[in-house]
Amino acid sequence: MITAERKPIEDLINSVSSYRRILLLGCNECVTVCSAGGRKEVALLSSALQMHFMKEGHPFEIKEITLERQCDPEYVEELVPYIDQADAVLSMACGCGVQEVARRFKEKMVLPAVNTKFMGASERQGVWAERCAGCGDCVLGSTGGVCPIARCSKQLLNGPCGGSGKGKCEVDSDIDCAWQLIWDRLKALGMTEKYEENIPAKDWRTGRGAGPRKIVREDLAS
Amino acid sequence: MEEFQPVIVAFCCHYCAYTAADMAGSKRLHYPANVKIIRVPCTGKVSALHMMEALRKGADGVYVAGCLEGDCHFRTGNTRATKRVAYVKKLLDEIGIGGERVEMYAMSAGMGEVFARTASEFTEKIRRLGPNPARVGRDNPGCATAACS
Amino acid sequence: MQKRSEFSNKVLIVGGGMGGIRAALDLAEAGRDVVLVDKSYSIGGLMTSLDRTFPTNNCDLCTLSPRLSESGRQLHIELLTMTEVEEVSGDAGNFKANLSSRPRYIDLQKCTACGECHRQFPGCVRFTPGLDHRAPTCMRYPQATPYAFSIDIDACSDVDELVKVCPAGAIIPDDKPRSHEVDAGAIILALGAEITDPGVLDTYGYGVYPNVVTSLEYERILSATGPTGGQLVRPSDGQKPRKVAWIQCAGSRGLRPGFQPYCSSACCMYALKEAMVTRERFLEDIETTIFYMDMRTYGKDYELYLQRAKNQYGVRFVRSRPHSIDPVFKDAVMTGGLDIGYMPYSSNLPAAEEFDMVVLSTGFRVSDETRSLAEKLGVELNDCGYAKTGSFEPVATSKPGIYACGLFEAPKDIPETLVQAGAAACCASADLSPLRVVQEKSENFPPEKDISGEPARVGVFVCDCENNIGGVIDVKSMAAGLKELKDVVVSETIGHGCSRDSLERIQEVIRKENLNRVVIGACSPRTHEAVFQDTLRKAGLNRYMLEIVNLRDQDTWVHTDNPAFAASKAKELMHMGVGAVRMTHPLADHTLPMNKDVLVVGGGVTGMKAALSLADGGFKVFLLERSNRLGGTAGKVRRTLDGQDVQAYLKTMVEKTESHENIQVLKQAVVVDHTGMAGMFKTGVQVGARMVYRQITHGITILATGALVNRPDEMLLGAHDAVMTQLDMDALLEDNPEGAKALRNVVMVQCVGSRVPENPNCSRICCQTAVKNALRLKELNPDATIVILYRDMRTPGMQELYYTKAREKGVVFVPYELEDKPGVVADGKKLSVTFTDPVLGRKVQVSCDCLVLSTGFVADEESTEDLGVIFRLPRTSDGYFLEDHVKLRPVDLPTPGFFVAGAAHSPKNIRDSIAQAQAVASRAQTFLAGDSINMGAAVARVDSNRCAACLICVRACPFGVPFVNAEGHSEIDPAKCHGCGTCASECPAEAIQLMQYEDDLIFAKLDGLFERTA
Repeated sequence: MITAERKPIEDLINSVSSYRRILLLGCNECVTVCSAGGRKEVALLSSALQMHFMKEGHPFEIKEITLERQCDPEYVEELVPYIDQADAVLSMACGCGVQEVARRFKEKMVLPAVNTKFMGASERQGVWAERCAGCGDCVLGSTGGVCPIARCSKQLLNGPCGGSGKGKCEVDSDIDCAWQLIWDRLKALGMTEKYEENIPAKDWRTGRGAGPRKIVREDLAS
Repeated sequence: MEEFQPVIVAFCCHYCAYTAADMAGSKRLHYPANVKIIRVPCTGKVSALHMMEALRKGADGVYVAGCLEGDCHFRTGNTRATKRVAYVKKLLDEIGIGGERVEMYAMSAGMGEVFARTASEFTEKIRRLGPNPARVGRDNPGCATAACS
Repeated sequence: MQKRSEFSNKVLIVGGGMGGIRAALDLAEAGRDVVLVDKSYSIGGLMTSLDRTFPTNNCDLCTLSPRLSESGRQLHIELLTMTEVEEVSGDAGNFKANLSSRPRYIDLQKCTACGECHRQFPGCVRFTPGLDHRAPTCMRYPQATPYAFSIDIDACSDVDELVKVCPAGAIIPDDKPRSHEVDAGAIILALGAEITDPGVLDTYGYGVYPNVVTSLEYERILSATGPTGGQLVRPSDGQKPRKVAWIQCAGSRGLRPGFQPYCSSACCMYALKEAMVTRERFLEDIETTIFYMDMRTYGKDYELYLQRAKNQYGVRFVRSRPHSIDPVFKDAVMTGGLDIGYMPYSSNLPAAEEFDMVVLSTGFRVSDETRSLAEKLGVELNDCGYAKTGSFEPVATSKPGIYACGLFEAPKDIPETLVQAGAAACCASADLSPLRVVQEKSENFPPEKDISGEPARVGVFVCDCENNIGGVIDVKSMAAGLKELKDVVVSETIGHGCSRDSLERIQEVIRKENLNRVVIGACSPRTHEAVFQDTLRKAGLNRYMLEIVNLRDQDTWVHTDNPAFAASKAKELMHMGVGAVRMTHPLADHTLPMNKDVLVVGGGVTGMKAALSLADGGFKVFLLERSNRLGGTAGKVRRTLDGQDVQAYLKTMVEKTESHENIQVLKQAVVVDHTGMAGMFKTGVQVGARMVYRQITHGITILATGALVNRPDEMLLGAHDAVMTQLDMDALLEDNPEGAKALRNVVMVQCVGSRVPENPNCSRICCQTAVKNALRLKELNPDATIVILYRDMRTPGMQELYYTKAREKGVVFVPYELEDKPGVVADGKKLSVTFTDPVLGRKVQVSCDCLVLSTGFVADEESTEDLGVIFRLPRTSDGYFLEDHVKLRPVDLPTPGFFVAGAAHSPKNIRDSIAQAQAVASRAQTFLAGDSINMGAAVARVDSNRCAACLICVRACPFGVPFVNAEGHSEIDPAKCHGCGTCASECPAEAIQLMQYEDDLIFAKLDGLFERTA
């Protein structure tokens, strides 16, 4: 899932303070699951902003809508009846959602309310961790199911480096050394010989190296 | 000038704090009439939004009162509520309302005295803090708090 | 089997402590009628004077008691306080009891416990919330406690004035003693015990030095509602003590005058609790020391509690029984300090140490009253004054139809008391007429009116509760003002709201004005919600279209000092109530049809006893046994401590079970899958050598899967022929007495494989087994030398007498430490055992021709893990099933409809296993008695359109109820939901609402509050 985190309230206050009527948008997909921008967070942010502007004596109205998914045009279309009553849109979706709304309503200011962080997994209630960097050429088959690009601070394809100690990364002792994890997994799989194999330098063009990417499924595309 | 009478909302769990409030009553312990109790089955039911909305709708202070640590009838409701209160405190600081306007308390069903004392202390604290600036702003639209109150 | 009565449905329970209450509730919930008699003026017994209880260190009664009042089955309980049994005639199934009640001078029907009499005449009114603070909060259901005062008429100088102060007219100055005659099919004696008098222990100076207190007094000092308001101060000078000592066995385990010869069983644990609570609250300042002979923490997980006290709380332990307490003088004036004189166990020199306060861990003794009552009833007592019972019938007294439970049977703690109470209820029930389908003692309600689509029509009723509300605020003008609120159709006052007249008036107005929602301003919903809900229901409304506003307990009682504030707050509270009630919608209680068949997993003594108890009651039982024979661990045991023949008992029991028409025994049966909920379980099993699959539908599941006999590879067990376990020794004594007689030197080692890091708990049975086998060896060969190496001898209750006897017979007991285990080496056919003698302070070597290891039990982790996963039940860290509440629900598992008994719960002997088996049978009958189960209405509901299947509710639920279903959204089974609302407040999609406490209802309350003030 894509994970996100609400921006500091102060930033949000600054970004909307010149408007009077705000359409606050949530998304019922990834940002709901990572508790950043679902219906509950929308209501909470709405409550906080209203309270702040009440305090300032600044007239302020918020309309709250949470779409099923903000990155699909059909769902975004549902905003048509409401968009004209708002001076600006504050979206709690990830960057994809914000852009989709901005694309559809060209003359409306669309502001992001969250910082989109990474593709990750939930480790436990309330904790999410980065797992995938979207490199476009998956190496997990050679690395025991642990991604060195997303999870090694240096993105080393042949690790570990000298900064690995007691299974932790020198960047931060809370970070597991990805290459330690890879070694542990390979050992458990009985495939330690894999570790000896050199992974050749990666062709980063499948990632961001060749500019923005697109997937086209010819059989589905219309 | 008349003494400021804050409005305080107390979310009390049925099994401990609400019962303690009844105990305070049956022992005829006085506490300020400013405190209005909303009964919930467990403080685990009280979400951040409940606390925020109480303040937005006009409360000057909000507190959540649950069971003593380890005593929750539903095992962990009170510990979850404690964390949410901490979260709301931070949020309130950020929007300039002040985190000290919300608080978490723990007491057992038999602690009528503790309930009464908590109610008095919290009311006194909010009285010192003064009215909820959001409410002041709402009631005096168009001008900043400091200038108008 | 005892012949059942053909007609009696009633049980007389004497004693209203925890045991009596539990037995009464079990019986009442199973549709039996109960007369509960207590000589005191309110019930609750000893437990109400405790501050907190072990091992949770909680105010457990407060945690649990709200559940007790939910059932509404108390309609079956008649409570007679201030009442004693005069005479009993007749036999099992047909007793006649004469009871006499002292006058209370208060009409319980009228008393509202307003306290007016107590305020004006404190000297002659008995109601002591200070000393009995749980009475109003915990035992508050009206037929219990009772929630009323009593008058000490002799202490009252002006009775006429007293009568006048009562606003309810409840005082009856000419109240007379009354006698009652009760017909009962069975009698349960839950008479309790009294605390030993430490005053007779002359060298401890109790009653002479004020800072020597009993443990109960210390509890009162610690208690927030006690005389010191929860401040820990010593009586002599009100100073906070720095050093507190506990002296164990103050009145127990002694042969000197003033001492009881037995162990009081509960004192070690409560001393630990008191010491831990002391450390917890005053950590930095107070040193806590416990003087003990053996720490007897033998109950479930109690050993871990002891470790916590030692390691986490830093409680200090000194193994010694002090001989004296002497005051400390300074300049010829007593300082309040106390010198404890003692002989350290590991030294020959006497020692003394000064403390600021000493707590005597007093035990239990049987009162003379109890003895004479037992005599009157023809119930035999043992030499110590406790009811005589047998190893195989733990709660049956010598008189058929009369059962004993709790302290009256033997000293014990609360969980064991509750288990015995259940067992007694089970036995008593078996003497009554067959269980009939419970006819709820309630009125027939009219059909519920369909109000869908109707606009809200709210009726407001304000109670004046005599002067309790009306005396402080003007209820009439308030009621009039509320008419202005949106949707309010009528608003009026109703006098004393919960009186019959007023309730009928409310119904009348509902019908006449066609109301669909009601707000009642009255006392606490905690006490009166059910009454008013019934009123709505009687008027054809859904019972949840109601909001009760707590005007009395939380307003007028509180703000008597400022009526103006009270009035404005009352108005605000009413506005909140009206706002909320408009958001209510009809809710249905979740009821499920009850399948009355029972599944018992495990065919040992426990499983068979539970199966037989229920099968005799007419229920069909499926008994699953993993192996190809019934009997379990008991099949390996020959004799009990009191010499009973286990195999003979077992043989009869197996025959009975296999031939019982209501029991289907499935051997070589393994549980493989499970679905459903209480009342409608479906369990798949594979049966027989060919593993044929079949599905069993049942309403109740009882787990009696036992534990495993431990056989660790230690001390040459299995490697040397002269090393054996206590079970081997038991068999040798029975099967080859000549061989046993030939043994001249025997060493026994306790705690082999128990109380060690791999298996941290006490196996409980080993000390008594070692004593049992040592005595039998001595009987065969009085000249045999027997040395028992132990860590703490744990022979609680009457088992202590056997321990004493063993020492009299010359069995040598030597303690060892875990860090210094005995060493064993082979010496030809013999063995050489080395251990440290604590008195000599050096290693001693003995040669023996037999080494017996007390290896105890280990949890059957494989089974409990499999079953735990299949049934979704929690386990303790060492692999036993974890009950719902260690103190108060010892045999109920957290999922409704599941029960645990026997060694699957924790290690225990046959006697205790049987008691638990009977207790689960009793608990099961509370479910089986009804045709349906009511799950209440306060459950979480998921809006599947909003759900993002994020799993947050799945992770947040403290009970593991929500799951993401095949349709890909969260589902919450209303039958399993406990109704806490945690999921609702954490759901990021706002897809979950807790019924009765929906968000819009809470927001409406806030709107109601602020509409006015804005």
